[in-house]
Amino acid sequence: MEPVLELVDVAKRYRGGLHAVDAVTLRLGPGLIGLLGPNGAGKSSLMRIAATVTRPSSGQVLFDGADAVRRPDALRRRLGYLPQDFGVYPHLSASEFLSYLAAVKGVGARAARARIGELLEILDLAGAGRRPLGAYSGGMLRRVGIAQALLTDPQVLVVDEPSAGLDPEQRVVLRNLLSDLATDRVVVLSTHIASDVGSVASDIAIMSGGRLRVRGTPEEVLRLAQGQVWEVTVPAETLQILRQRHVISKQVRTPAGMRVRVLAPSAPVADAVPVAPDLEDAYLAVVHGHAATAGVVR
Amino acid sequence: MTALLGTALWGIAVADFRERTRRPAYLVTLAAAVGLGWLAVPPADSVWVILDAGGYRGLYDGAWVGTATALAGGLWLMLGGFYVVRGTVTRDRLTGVGQVLAGTPMSRTTYLAGKFLSNLLVLASMAGVLALTALGLQIARGESYAMEPVALLAPFVLFTVPVLAVTSAAAVLFETIRPLRAGLGNIVWFVVWMSLLLGSSGVPFGGFDAVAASMQSSVVEQGLTPAGEFSLGLTEVGEPLRVFDWDGLVPSAGLMVGRLVVLLAAVLLAVLPALWFDRFDASRAAGSPVFAGGAGGAGGAEPVRTPAPVPGGRAAGTASAVSVDSMTSARTGTRPGLGRMVAGELRVLTSDLPRWWWLVALGLNVAAVVVGEPGTALLAAAWIWPVLVWSRLGTQHLEHGLDTLLGAYPGTLHRVTAQWVAGVALTAVTAVGPLANMLLAGESVRAAHWAAGALVIPSLALLLGTVTRTPRVFQVLYLVVWYMALNEVAGFDLMGIVLDGAGRPAGPSAVVVSGAALCMTAAALAVRRVQHLRR
Repeated sequence: MEPVLELVDVAKRYRGGLHAVDAVTLRLGPGLIGLLGPNGAGKSSLMRIAATVTRPSSGQVLFDGADAVRRPDALRRRLGYLPQDFGVYPHLSASEFLSYLAAVKGVGARAARARIGELLEILDLAGAGRRPLGAYSGGMLRRVGIAQALLTDPQVLVVDEPSAGLDPEQRVVLRNLLSDLATDRVVVLSTHIASDVGSVASDIAIMSGGRLRVRGTPEEVLRLAQGQVWEVTVPAETLQILRQRHVISKQVRTPAGMRVRVLAPSAPVADAVPVAPDLEDAYLAVVHGHAATAGVVR
Repeated sequence: MTALLGTALWGIAVADFRERTRRPAYLVTLAAAVGLGWLAVPPADSVWVILDAGGYRGLYDGAWVGTATALAGGLWLMLGGFYVVRGTVTRDRLTGVGQVLAGTPMSRTTYLAGKFLSNLLVLASMAGVLALTALGLQIARGESYAMEPVALLAPFVLFTVPVLAVTSAAAVLFETIRPLRAGLGNIVWFVVWMSLLLGSSGVPFGGFDAVAASMQSSVVEQGLTPAGEFSLGLTEVGEPLRVFDWDGLVPSAGLMVGRLVVLLAAVLLAVLPALWFDRFDASRAAGSPVFAGGAGGAGGAEPVRTPAPVPGGRAAGTASAVSVDSMTSARTGTRPGLGRMVAGELRVLTSDLPRWWWLVALGLNVAAVVVGEPGTALLAAAWIWPVLVWSRLGTQHLEHGLDTLLGAYPGTLHRVTAQWVAGVALTAVTAVGPLANMLLAGESVRAAHWAAGALVIPSLALLLGTVTRTPRVFQVLYLVVWYMALNEVAGFDLMGIVLDGAGRPAGPSAVVVSGAALCMTAAALAVRRVQHLRR
């Protein structure tokens, strides 16, 4: 299938020489790609480039084969973008704010009215749709942000840390929405929470230090940490030694000692038991350089 | 305990000073100080002067250049410096630093005194650059090469520092009074500055009389005759000033005590708000960005953070059954809906205006019709009243942090156009009464000037907002334009209120003003286009 959105050898250098994004290539077709990475990995910079908000220092962004850096409006007309941080006009209601944005996008008045009503309903904002946004909680504002990203029928949806501030139920709603949308659209979901991606993404990319480290299906990414995840119960003093030598992904205090999950190429202590990795283990293995990545980056 | 207090005070002041002086804008303010110094010590053949001793100026030695630059510094840094330093408390509020500080044992007084000190350090650094410029110009002008550090710097200590202290304190004070935090504070300070100048011959809080008396005495002692008034402020003279020798002011004890009192009053003014400062309690901070919000600069509004329950809200999980694909199809058009965008921009501009604001605007317009004379006062009032609203043109998306969100939307230039149309509509509506008056009186020429004014005001606001990305510049510049026009300086009259002997507008023609308005709008669009290309 032809890619819809292509980021080719994209780099972003800020003043002072910081390389936020370094030679990243991503070709994206319909489906949901989960972009994982620690804070400062360059995810948000890459999202802004994909959303045409920021120009790359070098490289290309192509939408349906056309240059979206020089002529961004074609992509913008088919784009839904939810930034990590965004503001609102605090004295407008959600309906007024979304109507304004719909006009900016050129959506017809009647269609906009119907669409906004439906979005407010889906995102559980209908009861508060006429109140000024200044009186909204952080989670409600995040849902308004999601609504604006879905104002049109976006062919490309770029969402940066969309679940921040949402309660568990709202996160389920969001995941279902994104999963629905990914059927025939490009959905790029950026987060540093591996579990947000695991349940919906058919494609996973992991960034760190501005570079794309790994890209693959969830199964391929999990395979990177195969045989490197161990569980063991140890006394407190052994835990200190383990921490110095290995990445500890989980620890629980039990009556018998500390039950820990350790990333290590071989058994970290004599009675450690190998366990199946989860996505968080694989993510930590990649970020900390433990994973065998050969052949996985596409 | 005292040492701890001093450490906290100095820590707040230095951290804040560093934060501000590491911004590129700080270099611009220092460059402005250099420019001010150049104006105060102009070339010998210049007819534009700042300090005029009755047709004379002193030999360019340490005493004269120090006094001239120090007086000019007190005069102009009081106005410009206020807009440079204000916003520090608001910045702590917006960045969340205030929340962190609120969790420490720091007292209100320490915090406010630290901010005052930081403001004073910034302004003092500008005055320092001014003093260095004075020394450089003394040498460059080549009339005296004598190094007289005391004669050069003493006027700064005597005249400039107390004024800067009051300015620093007022900047802190204004940020603790909710209505003065935003644009209204900028206007109020302009009025305060103007009033102080009118009441003290151009040197805020007095002192000019002593300087003038000393200069006059020297002029007379040298057998010269003063040919005019002593004045401070940028003025054009008929011919270059003649030169006399002046040894500098020997301040009286009374003058020094008076300046010390000003300095102490500034300190008290800075810590006075400890009585009511909210100490970053978010529950006590809210309101409109224009009339009660932030610093009046980009990002000046209070962050939206008040949690609120949803009346009648149901569990969000139930909505997961709704499919996005079943929603009404909403395709993006090839062109934005300009009419609805203009309506949206008008709503954004006016949604936070309180009812009394509209009542005052209505009252001014009704009065213009009822009074029955096409007077300037009511037109001036009607078109000064919305200054804070216009000043948001080109900056409202920055004010509320929408630039990232809107950055991914199409039609950047259409949005700028919609803002301009909304601005013109608002300008016309707010002075429809004076227009009716002119038309009823058959004053078609003045009506044409009114139309040009309705175009040029939002155009100027949009251009300045787009270029500077802050509403402050328009807020100040627009008042300066009106001040000049009301003082019958015809060149500044963009609305046809300065009349010649025949009762016709004496300023630039309506066609010229309209053309300038369209050029400004085109420039705003071009600047926005460049900003977009450099995103």
